[in-house]
Amino acid sequence: MAKGIYIIVEQRDLKIRKVSLELLSQGRKIADETGETLVAVVLGHGIEGLAQTVAASGADKVILIDDEKLAEYTTGAYTSVLNKLIRKEEPEAVLMGNTAVGKDLAPRLAQRLGVGLASDCTGMESEEKNFLSFKRPIYAGKAFAYLTSNVRPIMATIRPNTFKADAPDASRQAEIVTEIAEIDTTDLSAILKEVAISASKRPDLTEANIIVSGGRGMKGPENYGMLEELADVIGAAVGASRAAVDSGWKEHKFQVGQTGKTVAPTLYIACGISGAIQHLAGMGSSKFIVAINKDPEANIFNVADYGIVGDLFEVVPLLTQEFKKLVNE
Amino acid sequence: MATATREVYWNIEGEPWLYLLLIIALVIFSYGVYKRVILWKLGQPENRWKDVGQGVKDVIVYGLFHKRILKDPYPGLMHLGLFVGFVFLAFATAMITLQADFAMRIFHGWLYLFIKLTSNLFGLIALLAIMAFAYRRYIQRPDRLDNTPDDAITLALLFTILVTGFVIQGVRIAAVPDPWAAWAFVGQWMAIPLKAIFNQAQLLSLHRFLWWFHLVLAMTFIAYFSHSKLFHILLGLANQFLRKRGPIGIPDPIDFEDESLETFGKSQLREFSWKALFNTDACIRCGRCQDNCPAYLSGKHLNPKKIIQDMKVLMEETGAEVAETKKASVTQVAGQEAAAASEPEEWAGRALIGEVIPEQDLWACTTCRSCEQQCPIFVEHVDKTIDMRRNLVLMETRFPAEAQLAFRNMENNGNPWGIGWSTRADFLTSLGVKTFEEDPEAEYLYWPGCAGAFDARNQKVSAALVKLLQAAGVHFAILGNEEKCCGDSARKLGNEYLFFSLATENIEVMKGHGVKKIITQCPHCFNMLKNEYPQLGGDFEVIHHTVFLLDLVKSGKLKLSKSAGKSITYHDSCYLGRYNGIYEQPRELLKAVGLEIKEMAHTGEKSFCCGAGGGRMWLEENEGQRINEMRTDEAIAVKTDYVGTACPFCLTMIGDGIAAREVGEQLKALDIAEILEKSI
Repeated sequence: MAKGIYIIVEQRDLKIRKVSLELLSQGRKIADETGETLVAVVLGHGIEGLAQTVAASGADKVILIDDEKLAEYTTGAYTSVLNKLIRKEEPEAVLMGNTAVGKDLAPRLAQRLGVGLASDCTGMESEEKNFLSFKRPIYAGKAFAYLTSNVRPIMATIRPNTFKADAPDASRQAEIVTEIAEIDTTDLSAILKEVAISASKRPDLTEANIIVSGGRGMKGPENYGMLEELADVIGAAVGASRAAVDSGWKEHKFQVGQTGKTVAPTLYIACGISGAIQHLAGMGSSKFIVAINKDPEANIFNVADYGIVGDLFEVVPLLTQEFKKLVNE
Repeated sequence: MATATREVYWNIEGEPWLYLLLIIALVIFSYGVYKRVILWKLGQPENRWKDVGQGVKDVIVYGLFHKRILKDPYPGLMHLGLFVGFVFLAFATAMITLQADFAMRIFHGWLYLFIKLTSNLFGLIALLAIMAFAYRRYIQRPDRLDNTPDDAITLALLFTILVTGFVIQGVRIAAVPDPWAAWAFVGQWMAIPLKAIFNQAQLLSLHRFLWWFHLVLAMTFIAYFSHSKLFHILLGLANQFLRKRGPIGIPDPIDFEDESLETFGKSQLREFSWKALFNTDACIRCGRCQDNCPAYLSGKHLNPKKIIQDMKVLMEETGAEVAETKKASVTQVAGQEAAAASEPEEWAGRALIGEVIPEQDLWACTTCRSCEQQCPIFVEHVDKTIDMRRNLVLMETRFPAEAQLAFRNMENNGNPWGIGWSTRADFLTSLGVKTFEEDPEAEYLYWPGCAGAFDARNQKVSAALVKLLQAAGVHFAILGNEEKCCGDSARKLGNEYLFFSLATENIEVMKGHGVKKIITQCPHCFNMLKNEYPQLGGDFEVIHHTVFLLDLVKSGKLKLSKSAGKSITYHDSCYLGRYNGIYEQPRELLKAVGLEIKEMAHTGEKSFCCGAGGGRMWLEENEGQRINEMRTDEAIAVKTDYVGTACPFCLTMIGDGIAAREVGEQLKALDIAEILEKSI
C-alpha cells in the first residue's frame, strides 16, 4: 500500500528555499520509478499561494498547515505539528534539506518517532530491499557510506546543492489538502518574539557564489566601498584577508583564510591580496579565481585563473562599469 | 704565638636549653617537611632518580655555582652574596659544633682565624645582600615580584640573625680583649662605640641576652624553614638534581594501544606526577619566567609563574580535602582502613582547567620555553600546558575553532593548509630533486617540511638550499608525496592522536627507505624528528640546515664569497636555540659571508619568540599586542639591512611584522640559506 514520500518544504517569508525544490525534483524521479506518491508538506502562515509552486515542482499532493504559531520557524511548534502529522499519515519516508532548520528539526522529529536519521546526505536513490538508499560522507570525507533503513518512516536530511531543481511545470496539478495545526502547548518552550535581520542584504560569505575580497592593497577601510559597489552589481559577498582585518579595516566575520572562514564560491575576485598560503587555505577550492594586484610577482597569480596586473583603484571601478553594462542588457 | 681561639660558650650558662630548643625546632621542621611530602604524594609515581651522577653535577653547576641565577646579574649577585655568606657561616657553625658537641679540638689556630675572617667578610656581604633584597623588593618593586608576609618575615629574620651575630661579637670584643680581634673586623669596629656606651657589667648582660636572642632566632629559622620560602634552599637543589633529562618541553607519549586508559591528557591535579607537584613547592616565585614569557609580555593573561603558584594553591586545597575525607571515613567506619589516597578520585573542588587556570591561558602559550630556560631551579611549565591541552582536545573537544581546520587538513592531506597531498613533491621535483623511489642510494634525506614544499615564501628557501647542496655535491633525495607533516603543531596543540598517526606513518616510510640521515630547514621538524620521534621508534641522525651548511663551509665543500657592507640581525628560533642549543652555527655562517651581525635586545637563550610555536601559527591572536609585531619592532630598532631566520614560521611571522609596520623597503627578512645562496 503506497504510503508516500514526504518532503518537508522549507519556506521563509513565503519564499520556498532552493533545497526543497531540489528535493522535490529528485523525489519526483524516485516516485516515478517506484510508483510512490510524492507529498509536499508546507508549514507556515498565509501559505496558500505556495501550493501551486510546490505542485509545479513535482508534488502529487500538497499538505498545507497554516497557523499563526507557525509563521516563523520554532523548534517546538514545528516538531509538534509534524510529529502528529507523520503518526497520522504513516509515510514511507520523510525528507528535508540539511539546512539550519533541517539540522534542528530532523533529529528531534526522528527521536520523537523513534527512527534513525541519515543526515547531510549527498545522494539518494531508490533501493530494492529498503526502498531508499542514501549516500553520505564519513571520516571527514575520506569515505562514503550507503545507508538504508528497515524502520518506517525513513528519515534523512539532504545537503543543499546535491540535486538539481528541475524547471517547474506550471501545468502540473496536485491534490491540495489543508490540515489543522495540532500544537501541543507543552512543546512551546520557546516563543519567538522578534527576528532581527542583519543589515547586509548581501549573501552570506560561506554560501555566496561570488565573493569580492580585499587585502592589504586596499590601503584603508574607506576603500571597501569600491568593492561593495562591485559586489552589489554582480550579487557577490564581500570578504577580506587577515591583513585587512588586523588593520581594523573590516570585522573578523569577513576574514577569509586559515583562521577565518573557508569558502568555496564559483568565483573569487581577490583585490590587493598577495596570496600568502594562509589565505589560500581559506579560498583555494574556489572554482574560478580572478586576481587584481599591482605586483606581478604576487603569489596569488600562481593560483588565479585570470590575473590582472594593475592598480586595483583603477581596475575595480572599470570592472564595476563593465558588469553594470552586462547586467543591464 | 699563643694559639688563636676563643672560649666557646664564654659568658653563657644553661647550654642544655640550647639542645631542648633545637629538638623543638627540629620537630617543627620535620612536621613541616611531612606536611609538604603528603601533598607531593597526591601525585602519580614517576621515576626521577635515574642518572644520579648527572644530578650531582647539576646541583654543583646550577646550585653551588649559581649558573642560571647569575644570568640576571643584579639579583643574581645579591643572591650569590647571601648564599656564600650562608655557606661560610654554616661552616663556622659546623666547626664549633664539632668542637662543642663532639669534643674535636679544631676551633683554633689557622682554622679559627679562617673562620673569623670569612664569617665577618661573607657575613657582612650577606647582610648587605639582605638589605639589597629588601630594597629591590619593597622600594624598586619590580613587576615580577609579588610580596607576601612570608617574604617580609624571612628577610627580617635573616637580617636580625646576622645583625645580632655581629653585635654579639662586638660586645664580646668590647668586654674581653681579643688579640685576634683584627680578624673579626666587623666586631672590632663595633666594639668601639659599644665600649663607649656600656660598662663591663652591662656588656656582659647584653651579651648574654643577645646570645640567647640570636639562638632563639636561629632555632626559629630551623623551625620556620620547612613552613616558608626558606624551604627553597633544599627544594631548589633537589629540583635541579631531579630535572628532566629526556626530550624537553613535551610530556610522555600516550600509548593508544593501551585499552585500560580511561582518559587522555590531564584535567585533574592528582593526575600529574609527584614531581609536577614538587615543582610548585620548589618554585621560589622569582618571576624570571614571567619576565621572559612572550605571551605575558605582549599583554596576554597567561603568566607562567601564576600557573605554577595557582597549581600549588590547588594542591593545598586538594590535600586539605583528602585529609578531611580521610578523617570523615575513619570516624564513620571505625576499625576499617581509610580509603587509599593514591588513586585520583572525583574531585569536587575548583577545576584545574577553567577555574584555576583559564582555558585561554593554556592556548596562549607558544611553547617557546623561555620560562623553563630562565628558571634557575628547572621548574617545568610547558609539558603541563601540553598535557592539559591534550585533555581539552582528546576528551573535551574544547579548543580554538581555527585549530579544527588545521587538524582536519593535517589528517586529510598531511599539511595544515589542506593543499592536495599529491602535489607535495611538485615544487622540489621541478628543481630536479629526486625522490627516494627514484634514487634509493641517496646518502641524505632532505626533509623540506610542509612549508618548504607548499608555502610560496618558503619554497624560495628550499630552492636556495637545494642549490647550495647541489653546489657542494651532497647526494640527497626527498620522500616526495610520501612525506607527511611531522606532526609538531598537532602534538603541541594537544592532538596527540593525530601526531601519533602522522609520526608512525612517517617513521614507517623512512625506515622502509632505509633513511639514516636527515637534513631539514625547519626547526620544528628538526626537533620533532630528532628528539620526539625516538619515542615512537624513529631513530635517525637529524641535522638542521644551518649546521649542515656550516660543516660544508668548514670542510671546504661549499665556497662562499664575502659581500661586504650589509648588516644583519639574527633571530634565534626557539626550537633551534632553546630546544637544541644551536646559537652559534647560523651566526658563523653569516660571518662567513661577510655580514656585520648586530644583536636584538632579546637574543640567544633569551630570544623573543616569533609567536608561531605551540601550534599558534594556526590560531588567531586576540589578546594584547601581536607577539610577532613586538619582535619585529626589536629587529627594526637594531637598524640593520636584514633580519636573518632559520625557520619558516619565524620567516613568516617576522615578514608579516615587517609588512604590518610598513618597513619593507628598509628591512628584509631572509632565511640563512637564501643569504648564502647569494654568495656562492
